[in-house]
Amino acid sequence: MDAAQQVHEQFLAALEGGSLRRRSNIGLAKAGLAPARAAAMLRSQMLSRQLDRLSRKLQARGEGFYTIGSSGHEGNAALAEALRVDDMAFLHYRDAAFQIHRAGRVPGETPAWDMLLSFTASADDPISGGRHKVLGSKRLMIPPQTSTIASHLPKAVGTAFSIGIARRMGFEDTVLARDGVVLCSFGDASANHSTALGAINTAAWAAFQGTPMPIVFLCEDNGIGISTRTPVGWIEANFSGRAGLHYIACDGCDMADAWRGASEAVDYARRLRKPVFLHMKTVRLYGHAGNDVQLVYLSKDQIAADNARDPLLASAALLIEEGVMTAAEVRAEYDGIEAALLRQVELAIARPKLADAAAVMASIVPPKREGVARPLANAQARAALFADEAAAMDKPQHMARLLSWALADVLLQYPNAIVCGEDVGAKGGVYNCTARLHQRFGSARVINTLLDEQAILGLAIGAAHNGLLPIPEIQFLAYVHNAEDQIRGEAATLPFFSNGQFTNPMVLRIAGLPYQKGFGGHFHNDNSLAVFRDIPGIVLAVPCCGADAVLMLREAVRLAHEEQRVVIFVEPIALYMTRDLHSEGDLGWTSVYEAPGAAEIRLGEVGVRGADNNSGTDLAIVTYGNGVYLSLQAQKLLAEQGVAARVIDLRWIAPLAEEALLAAAGPCARVLIVDECRITGSQSEALMALFAEAAPGKRAARIAAEDSFIPLGRTATYTLPSRDMIVAKALEMAGG
Amino acid sequence: MAKHTVVVVCPGRGTYNAPELGTLARHHAGRPEAQAELARFDAMRAQSGAETLSAVDGEAKFIPALHLRGDVAAPLIYAASYLDFLSLDQERFEVVAVTGNSMGWYTALACAGAVSGDHGFAIANAMGVNSQKHAPGGQAVLVLADENWRVDLGLARAVDAACAREGVLPSIRLGGMLVVAGPEAALDALETALKESGPPLPRALLRLAGHGPFHTPLMQPSANAARAGLPPAWFAAPQVPLIDGRGAIWRRFETDPRDLWDYTFGHQITAVYDFTAAMTAALREFSPDYVVLLGPGETLGGAIGQVMIGARWLDISSKAGFSFRQETNPFLLAMGRPSQRSIVIS
Repeated sequence: MDAAQQVHEQFLAALEGGSLRRRSNIGLAKAGLAPARAAAMLRSQMLSRQLDRLSRKLQARGEGFYTIGSSGHEGNAALAEALRVDDMAFLHYRDAAFQIHRAGRVPGETPAWDMLLSFTASADDPISGGRHKVLGSKRLMIPPQTSTIASHLPKAVGTAFSIGIARRMGFEDTVLARDGVVLCSFGDASANHSTALGAINTAAWAAFQGTPMPIVFLCEDNGIGISTRTPVGWIEANFSGRAGLHYIACDGCDMADAWRGASEAVDYARRLRKPVFLHMKTVRLYGHAGNDVQLVYLSKDQIAADNARDPLLASAALLIEEGVMTAAEVRAEYDGIEAALLRQVELAIARPKLADAAAVMASIVPPKREGVARPLANAQARAALFADEAAAMDKPQHMARLLSWALADVLLQYPNAIVCGEDVGAKGGVYNCTARLHQRFGSARVINTLLDEQAILGLAIGAAHNGLLPIPEIQFLAYVHNAEDQIRGEAATLPFFSNGQFTNPMVLRIAGLPYQKGFGGHFHNDNSLAVFRDIPGIVLAVPCCGADAVLMLREAVRLAHEEQRVVIFVEPIALYMTRDLHSEGDLGWTSVYEAPGAAEIRLGEVGVRGADNNSGTDLAIVTYGNGVYLSLQAQKLLAEQGVAARVIDLRWIAPLAEEALLAAAGPCARVLIVDECRITGSQSEALMALFAEAAPGKRAARIAAEDSFIPLGRTATYTLPSRDMIVAKALEMAGG
Repeated sequence: MAKHTVVVVCPGRGTYNAPELGTLARHHAGRPEAQAELARFDAMRAQSGAETLSAVDGEAKFIPALHLRGDVAAPLIYAASYLDFLSLDQERFEVVAVTGNSMGWYTALACAGAVSGDHGFAIANAMGVNSQKHAPGGQAVLVLADENWRVDLGLARAVDAACAREGVLPSIRLGGMLVVAGPEAALDALETALKESGPPLPRALLRLAGHGPFHTPLMQPSANAARAGLPPAWFAAPQVPLIDGRGAIWRRFETDPRDLWDYTFGHQITAVYDFTAAMTAALREFSPDYVVLLGPGETLGGAIGQVMIGARWLDISSKAGFSFRQETNPFLLAMGRPSQRSIVIS
């Protein structure tokens, strides 16, 4: 017999035969649970169960597309009972009962219908619009989640952290209440994931030093991850007694004990604003997903023992023994739920699906927000802010200094903006780009984080969920790679999976790219942007100089604040302190700080720098970042040899402004692409393709970095494009 | 044979008009159970010195000053609806949920078994009087739906904003109509503002003569009177799911009767009654074979159709589509319409 059917019949037989047993002596009165609320929880649990059964039937009919169920985990409904409905919840994929039960507390919610639309991938699915089977709901404060690799833990920690930050900032326009608690649930197998461990460590690290961290980590321990057993006692041994983390255990198969644990955990987190690890023992009934046959790796006895822990058995026993319902009434409710679902599902199947690629992609870019543009800070406030640097501001400065002022102006103009990262505080950042921000805006808005990139990005994503405007900093491009999924799998996908309802706008600043003079080797000179190039929806910016960096940073912040975009802002380290362009002392790479309000560089605007007033038409050099700097040096040498080249700075790598680029290169028959990144996966690939497809009449060639890592010392630039290589290639092209 | 599932909808004030005169006699003569109920209702009214419903229903002609008076209209409508509910053939139809609009909530309580039929009547009767206790103010109707019964969400938002600007509150969300309420001066201001600066509506604002500012905080005196005179002890958990004016579902084992009492004489009286949400929840969470609209009359049918169109229920997306469905295979069965009444009565 089908495993799901077996569990179903076991429940019916136990109701019929009176063999239901409670799992503990904790009664409703002792647990402090009103009979009506216990009945509501049982109903949520039964609805979750019936939905699981139905999802398998739907898949068999070819009408449903997701069978990872919640059966055996229905104890998590206790968290929905214990939390307030405005407490944000980042859910494990086995938490349907939580969502159903929370929905039951919000008038007008229709959880069964909504879940069926999700199963059937209908465009009417209120959370994802038919894009994915996720748990989630805007009204229920449940951001959409698939939680497959514990990747939601860092942002849950960030969200919890942001509650305290917003309080300290005095910022009121937050999504979450000042006394809000964040729930983050996951399985015992996921608890081993480095992402989970990093996030839990971050929360404990913060709490250990007294930073508010009102979060409940709900570990739903069913003892197995797909087919791999969790060692007996592992979760408790691993997470009880950890510094900064309060551990509570409860039996998720026993409604009364689950409620006891849940209410204790929520109360602790809300009252003390400290993290709690709630270890809820659950059971996974009928395998990992619909196609998983447990008998391959579990004995019949093990399966029978698991089945005997079915939480529905104990929940029903509790209510029957307490006289809330009779066995027949439980059965009638259970059957009634099934009957209603069978009526609903046929209608749900008939609802429209997403029609085409455009419909699927409609929520990749989040919706713009109207009426949120921030006014410029007044002159008086700016004068006070920069009083001690007024003289310096009238003189040409390098990019790092200009960026630090631009950031100060941003923090002044946007009261919801925060800066966070390693050493961004009193030290002013590894390259001084956040200099004096800490002093000017305080530790609530300029936040020194621990050394963990996942935590930094999690903080940013979570803070954005709460209405803040995060400007996180990653010290080096190579460091982002251990945390890239926080952008790739989480931040970028949030609007997609929520049909644009949830967003996490931010400007992620990263110091990167090569050409530091002999310093640092590969990990400080990483020259690949490939990790960001293929992520739908994000904006990737690379300024080449201080003047552009200031204007582009302002545009990036505007894009985040007004258009809810995730912007990756990669600053070329080698140009941070560069002052001269052609010769020592020419100050060709410095500029005077441009105050906000006048000039701007909008998304998609390319920069054209040419000899003779932009009129160089012999050759277009298309490049970005350090490539602009080298190409401008080359341009001068080329001009001396009679070749008039224009240098086109992409500025915005993604989305690529194809029309603007083609227009800028229009008068030139030859196009030389200069790309400082490793050739494989580099932007030059897309550019070559673009010119081949859209401007086949032009002769296009490229110089890109070798597929090598960056070495130390004098060899550091051996694998990279150089000024002389550009000159040589350009002359070759001009002569050909 | 499996029963047909139905959601029962109880109409509110304004549904007993001239065409409905005599409806109690016409529909329930020869039905001993209904007659017995009606006799009890009459006795209750006689005891307090009020006109009996039989007498009012039996008037030779419709007298607005009598039939539309709150203390007459409310019990009259309650009785017509409740007796209709008792006539429903429960051998063939399974009631899977009950909901109502505005005053129909009191009828819904009784139909769902959360209060007895007599207590429901006593509540409707008392609220007919109580609802006249309120701070000064009135009600008006705004038509939002176009000729296809579709509501433009932008228009709805603009109207909400206009109301908020003038200090007018939403009173009942009723499919393609929005009933608003507030002090007379605020309603005057809204009327002027809509005329002068829009947004343009399909029909001009219509003031409802004799109506109070129902479902707004101005009704607090009415709520106070209800709480003082109508005891929680009358309330029990509903026997079938009961959907309230927020779209919340009250279920048998999950209902604390005290909470139901509190909602009925609290939020239900002093905050917006969202029939659209109630009806949407009814369709989605119960997906019935039919919706049965109790009498008197069938004027609420339009709002139900508009809610269906708003939710694209059964793939119906226009008035024409709704009408076609109703003509060929009616989904909405109005007991105030003889041809449909005959389908559902025992």
